[in-house]
Amino acid sequence: MTTQTQQIQAPTVPARRRSSAGLSGHRFAGPLFASPALLGLAIFLVAPFVLAVVLSFYRVQLNSPRPARFVGFEQYARLFTDPDLAAAFGQALLNNFSFALIVVPVQTVLALALAVLVNRKLRGMVIFRTFIFMPLVFPLALTAVIWRLIYSRGDQGLLNAILGLFSGGTLSSHDWLGDPATALGSIIVMSIWQSVSFQMIIVLAALQSVPTELYEAASLDRASKWAQFINVTVPGIRNTLIFVALITTIFSFRLFDQVYLLSRSGSVDRGSTETVMTQIINTGFDNNNVGQAAAMTVIFMLIITVIAIIQRAAARQRGGV
Amino acid sequence: MMTIPKSTSGARILTAAAAVSIAAMALTACGGPGTGSAGPSVEAGSGEGTINVWAVDGQAAENDALKKIISSFESSQSKIKVNLKLFPSDQYTKAVNSAAPGDLPDVLDFDGPTLASFVYNGKMAPLKGSVSDATLSNQTDSIKAQNTVDNAAYGVGMMNAGLALWGNKKLLNAAGVAYPTTPEKAWTAEEFTGVLDKLATVVPGGKPLDLSEQYGFAGEWGTCCSAGPVIWSGGGTMLKDNKASGALDSEANVKSLTKFASWKKFTDPNADGLAFTNGRVALSWVGHWTYPTYKALGSDLVSIPLPNFGKGTKTASGTFAWGMGATTKNGTAAGKFLDFLMSDESVHTYTDANGAPPATKTSLATSSLYGPGKQLQLLGDQLSKACGTEDKINDNCVSVTRPVTAGYPVVTDQVGKAEAAIYAGKDAKEALSAAARAIDQNFADNDGYKK
Repeated sequence: MTTQTQQIQAPTVPARRRSSAGLSGHRFAGPLFASPALLGLAIFLVAPFVLAVVLSFYRVQLNSPRPARFVGFEQYARLFTDPDLAAAFGQALLNNFSFALIVVPVQTVLALALAVLVNRKLRGMVIFRTFIFMPLVFPLALTAVIWRLIYSRGDQGLLNAILGLFSGGTLSSHDWLGDPATALGSIIVMSIWQSVSFQMIIVLAALQSVPTELYEAASLDRASKWAQFINVTVPGIRNTLIFVALITTIFSFRLFDQVYLLSRSGSVDRGSTETVMTQIINTGFDNNNVGQAAAMTVIFMLIITVIAIIQRAAARQRGGV
Repeated sequence: MMTIPKSTSGARILTAAAAVSIAAMALTACGGPGTGSAGPSVEAGSGEGTINVWAVDGQAAENDALKKIISSFESSQSKIKVNLKLFPSDQYTKAVNSAAPGDLPDVLDFDGPTLASFVYNGKMAPLKGSVSDATLSNQTDSIKAQNTVDNAAYGVGMMNAGLALWGNKKLLNAAGVAYPTTPEKAWTAEEFTGVLDKLATVVPGGKPLDLSEQYGFAGEWGTCCSAGPVIWSGGGTMLKDNKASGALDSEANVKSLTKFASWKKFTDPNADGLAFTNGRVALSWVGHWTYPTYKALGSDLVSIPLPNFGKGTKTASGTFAWGMGATTKNGTAAGKFLDFLMSDESVHTYTDANGAPPATKTSLATSSLYGPGKQLQLLGDQLSKACGTEDKINDNCVSVTRPVTAGYPVVTDQVGKAEAAIYAGKDAKEALSAAARAIDQNFADNDGYKK
């Protein structure tokens, strides 16, 4: 940033000013320009994290006249040694990882497929695109109501009704959200449906920036459509695909709304769908146990940081960027 | 090119999300500790002037009724004016929680199970001395139990809440099922299974029961109105001597809740909330508040006591009531207003608007819905057979008050979560023991929520 500023400013700033006040201006230009961002980071990232670390060493109860009590590493010790808490936290982490492991590859590939599909120049494509993009526009609270009807057990559930119709009545009464075996899977499907179009839009933009000359050259070489896709399209949008995979991973770990809306409103075993985020909110605000929630947040943050570092290293190797 | 900066900013989005949530916690936490140490300091005041009142922004009809009552209070005398402030229902408890005791109004609405916590935080004043003895003694026993903390009355209620099995007489007759009309004759849990078996043959989907799954068991509905009556009716409790282990995970509770979960196969998930009115089910386990919708069935609508798991049918009771802010400077005027709110005329105006059972003895007796010989007499009878709190349950009483403790948030969260897990097929002993351990840990951390 500093070098850029110097390059731009060099010809325009008069020599006289550059010698005295100008120089110090240059010295502070970087920090000055960065300060709004740094301030934002400090207020919204560093300060809350430091607060979380501090809180995690205390026993703090919301709505309690008791003063906070310093307990050292007790909240952390409980999180790993209390069998109930450790099991629940482990289960929530496992749910997060399973979610990411399925959603990231499936959603990225699906986004690419959809983008290729809607990138064709056919009549009425705008309508098609609109329909694919629509789930993202609706508020999640609204779509959750509809998905509860879809997943509802018995003959009332739309999914069961469809399955029953195609299987001649043999498959008709599964409790998609109520059965711990399928609860997370159901949320995965809904999440992909809801947000794949976001990734699709990004991939679509990248697709449209691949130079058409490359395709022309490839057709002159008599490359098949598939060969063109593998050798022109995919390398052309490689960085975007990496970006999409990264951002989907982030979204996966941030998973909260879908789980909260779908599993709180039905008769669902909460443990089977709980993610770390829902657990933190539950511990902090439903059980009023802020210290414990802070400890969970700190550990979760450390895990995410490690994942981000690994991903960053992997992306740099593969993409060469 | 953009991958690297974006990946880190992506990570920041995530950490920011986590951090903001913690920041929010930190901020709200700051409002909690340190603010509630001073004891209540009510001043009687001159008995004149303006009193501030906080209430929940309820249904339109309820709000209108409240405003009507207030204006007739103001015109009944000339010295006291009422300044009413309404809060959205999902914000109300948060507003009271985050206000320092000194910022609370002279008179405020509160939800039953939150009272103990407000008292614990020094936010509510005892009513004796400000509200007349006649008003206090006219309260039904069930609402009295809810509004009493450490043997002092902190609230008075115009309305109560009650549960029943609503039945569709046409479908019950079609299956040849005779139904009980008084709490004493309630079906036992075993008989109830047989009834469901019979009813399954006459309803279109083969699932004749609605357990109000659409409210979700893992929340307040579960504790108060779904798991609560099952636990109490089976002879169990959620807490015993401020401890959940040995109470919540008792054999009786394991047995009762397992039985309850066994009815899942007869239960319509009611995702659309229309199961009963559309005739998909013959029985609906829900509160009095559905009456305005259910009365569409006309004379086919009957109310039946909830099943008896061994110690007689039980229902939860308790709902929003009125109390005084701990630091009011105008206790006399506030007391006069509360006396007026509890008059028969005010109570009738209010409960006619929302269909709730009146919570004063005299207005319950003359209620057009819950009084003797009226359509919802069963619910009125149940509420007048009050057990009080869990520890006072016997075979003959019916309506039970939810645990009165400042630790109620953790109790309701864990009980609801356990019920949902059991209903989803988890082992009842395991789920209840885990819930009990979590509750006890939280109570231990807070020294049993004792002052």
